Amino acid sequence: MKLSRRTLLALTVASVMLPAASQAADSIKIGYQLPLTGNTAQYGQDFKDAAEIALAKFNASGQIPVPVEIIYEDSRSDAKEGVTIARKFVDDKEIVGVLGDFTSTVSMAAAQVYKRSGMVQLSQTASHPDFAKISEWQFRNITTQNQEGGVNAKWMIDQGIKKVAVIAEQTDWGQSVVKGFVDPFKEMGGEVVYTEFFNRGLADFRSIITKIEEQKPEAIYTGFFYEDGAQFLKQVAQLNAGIPVYSTSAAYNDKLIELAGAAAEGLKLTATFLPTRADANVTEFVTEWKKTHDNAPGQFPAQAYDAVNIMLAAVVKAYPDVTRQSLRDAVAATKDFPGVTGNTSFDENGEPLKELTKATVKDGVFVEVK
Amino acid sequence: MSKPLFIKLLLLVIVFAVVPFALEGLGKGYYYQIATLAFVFMLLAASLHLVTGVAGLLHLGHASLYGVGAYVAALLGSKYGIGFTYGLPLAGIGAAFVAFLVALPTMRLMSIYFAVATLGIGQMLFLVFQNWVDVTNGPNGVMLFDGIDLFGYAINSELGIYYVVAVVAAVSILILNRLSHSYYGNALRSLREDDQCTAAMGINVTVMKIQAFVISAFFAGIAGALWAYTTGYISPNDFNFSQSILILTMVVVGGLGSLPGVLIGALLLILLPEVLRYFGDIRNIIVGLLMFGAILFLPKGLFGEVNALNFARRILGSAWSEDNSEKGIGWK
Repeated sequence: MKLSRRTLLALTVASVMLPAASQAADSIKIGYQLPLTGNTAQYGQDFKDAAEIALAKFNASGQIPVPVEIIYEDSRSDAKEGVTIARKFVDDKEIVGVLGDFTSTVSMAAAQVYKRSGMVQLSQTASHPDFAKISEWQFRNITTQNQEGGVNAKWMIDQGIKKVAVIAEQTDWGQSVVKGFVDPFKEMGGEVVYTEFFNRGLADFRSIITKIEEQKPEAIYTGFFYEDGAQFLKQVAQLNAGIPVYSTSAAYNDKLIELAGAAAEGLKLTATFLPTRADANVTEFVTEWKKTHDNAPGQFPAQAYDAVNIMLAAVVKAYPDVTRQSLRDAVAATKDFPGVTGNTSFDENGEPLKELTKATVKDGVFVEVK
Repeated sequence: MSKPLFIKLLLLVIVFAVVPFALEGLGKGYYYQIATLAFVFMLLAASLHLVTGVAGLLHLGHASLYGVGAYVAALLGSKYGIGFTYGLPLAGIGAAFVAFLVALPTMRLMSIYFAVATLGIGQMLFLVFQNWVDVTNGPNGVMLFDGIDLFGYAINSELGIYYVVAVVAAVSILILNRLSHSYYGNALRSLREDDQCTAAMGINVTVMKIQAFVISAFFAGIAGALWAYTTGYISPNDFNFSQSILILTMVVVGGLGSLPGVLIGALLLILLPEVLRYFGDIRNIIVGLLMFGAILFLPKGLFGEVNALNFARRILGSAWSEDNSEKGIGWK
C-alpha cells in the first residue's frame, strides 16, 4: 500500500525517532484520485496497479535524482468525495500535479477545484466532451469520440457502407459517440437511418434490434462498453440480423469475446491499445502486468499507464524547478510521447491526438486490420 | 439561564465562531469542503426528518428532490443568469412544486405502498435528469460558472462561503425544528403512531402528509442549491438512489423523530468516511460495520423517539398479517 497523507504525517512525527523515514520529504509528489472502493473499484484498482508499474520503472531508471511519489485517494466514483479529495490535494503544497478521476462526473466536479487553484489534472478516462475545455489545467489521455467517430466513418465509407443505424448508451460519453460519428459520416455522404440511446445495463436489446432491422441499414455503429456490448452482440446473432457491427475502443476488452462467444466474431472497432501489438513498450507493460494478473491488460489500465508516464516525463522536463505551473506547461508541451496506446500529443485544448488502430474479432481474438 | 437556551447559544457560538475560527486557523480548503458538505447533508437529513422521523412515512426518494433544487439553481444560474440570491429560494420552490405534483396521486397510499411510491418518484426524477437532454443537459450535467453572489456582493472567500452555507442551513434547520416541535409537529407525530386514530380525531391525514412532504422538499431543494453553488458542477449521478439511502441512514442512525439526533447522524456519516481515509480500502467496511452495530445495539438510533426496527417491521409488515382463515398467514 502506498503512503497516504495521513501516514506521511504520522511518519514525519515518527521521523524524530527514525531518521530514515524523513527521506520522503525530498520526493516529488503527484496525487491520484480514483475509485478504489465502490461500484467502479475494479477500474480504479487496475489504474493503481498500472500506475505502480510505471512508477517503479521510473524511480529505478534514475532520470532525476529524487524519487517521485504517487499519493492515491479513493473517490468511490462519488462527486462529493472527488471534490473533497481535490481540495485535499490542492492544500498539500508538495503535490504538484494530479491524475484522475475515473468517471467524467467526478473528474468534472473535481476539475472546478483544480481550475480555481491552478493544478494540472490529467485524467486517463474522463470522456465528457467539455472536460478538457474547462480550463488550461485539464488534460486527458483518452481519445475523444470526435476522433474515433471520424475514423470509423471513413472506414465504413471505404467499405462502401452508406446507410447506418446508430445506438449508444445514455451517458455523456454515449452522446459524444453519436455526435462524433454522425457529423463526419453525413459529411462524407453517408445516411443515418436510425438513432437510439439505451440506459446502461439494459438486458433486452431485441426491440431495438427489430427496429433497426426495419430500417435495413448496411451497418450498425455502437457506443457501448463490453458488458452491454456482449449482450447486444448475442441478441443480434440470435435474431439472425446479419448486419455488421462497428464500435469504439470502449468495447475493446477480452471479456467481450468471453461473454459473447461466437457472436462477437466479425465485430469491427477502433482501438488505441492492442496487447498483441509488436512494440517494445507494449511488450514490457504486458509482461510486467502479467506478473500479477492472469489476463493481459485492457484498454483502461493501458491508458492509466500512459497517463502516469506522460506526467512523469513532464516532471523530468520541468526538473529541477517542478512547480504546479511549470508541470502544467510541461504536460501541455507533450509531443509524440511514445506510449503503449500509441504516440500521444496534446492539442491546445488539452485533448490527446493519438493514432488509432483498426481491429476486428477473428477466431475469438482481436486482430489488427491493416 | 435555562438549560435549553444555554445549549442553543453554545451551538450558535460553535457554528458561527469556533468552527470558522478553527477553519481559518487551519487554512485548508479540505476542511472547508467537509464543513460545507456536512451542512448540506445536515439540512437534507433534517428535511427528511420531518417526513420520516416525525410523520413516520418511509421516504425513499429524497435525493431526487434535492436534485430538483440543484438543477433549478444550476440551470437558472447558467442559462438565465439568475444568481444565488433568487436562485436559492427558487430552487426550494421548484422542488416543493415538483413534490406537490407527485404528492397528489401518491399521498393517499399507506405504509409500504407509500415507500414504494417514493422509490418510484426518486427513480422517475433521476431518469428525467438523465434523459431529458434538451433541458437538463442529460448525463453531461450542468456546469455553473458563477460563484455565490448575494444581493450584488460576490462572495469568494472560503470563510464567506462557509458563513453563507452555515446561515442558510442553520435558519432552515431552525424552521424545521420549530415545525416539528409545534402543535403541527405533534399532529404529524400522531400520524406516525396511528393514522386511523388521527383521522378519527378530525385531522385530514392526506393534507397533512402532502404538507409535510412539500415542506421537506422545499428544504431539500435549498440544500440542492447550496451543493450546486459550492461545487460548480452537477450531474444526475449526484442524486441517485444511493444518495437517498445515505440520507435515510443519517435519519435512522441519528434516531427517528429526534432532530438533534438526525443532525449528529448526518455529521457522523459525512465525517466518518473522511476520518477513516487513513485505513484505505477497508474504510467503507468499517463504516458499514459501525452502522450495523448501531442498528443492532441502538435500534432507536442515538436519540430516537421510535425504535427503528419496530418502525420498519410495522411499515413493511402491515401488508403481511396473520389471517385466521385456512391459509394461516398471507398478504392482505
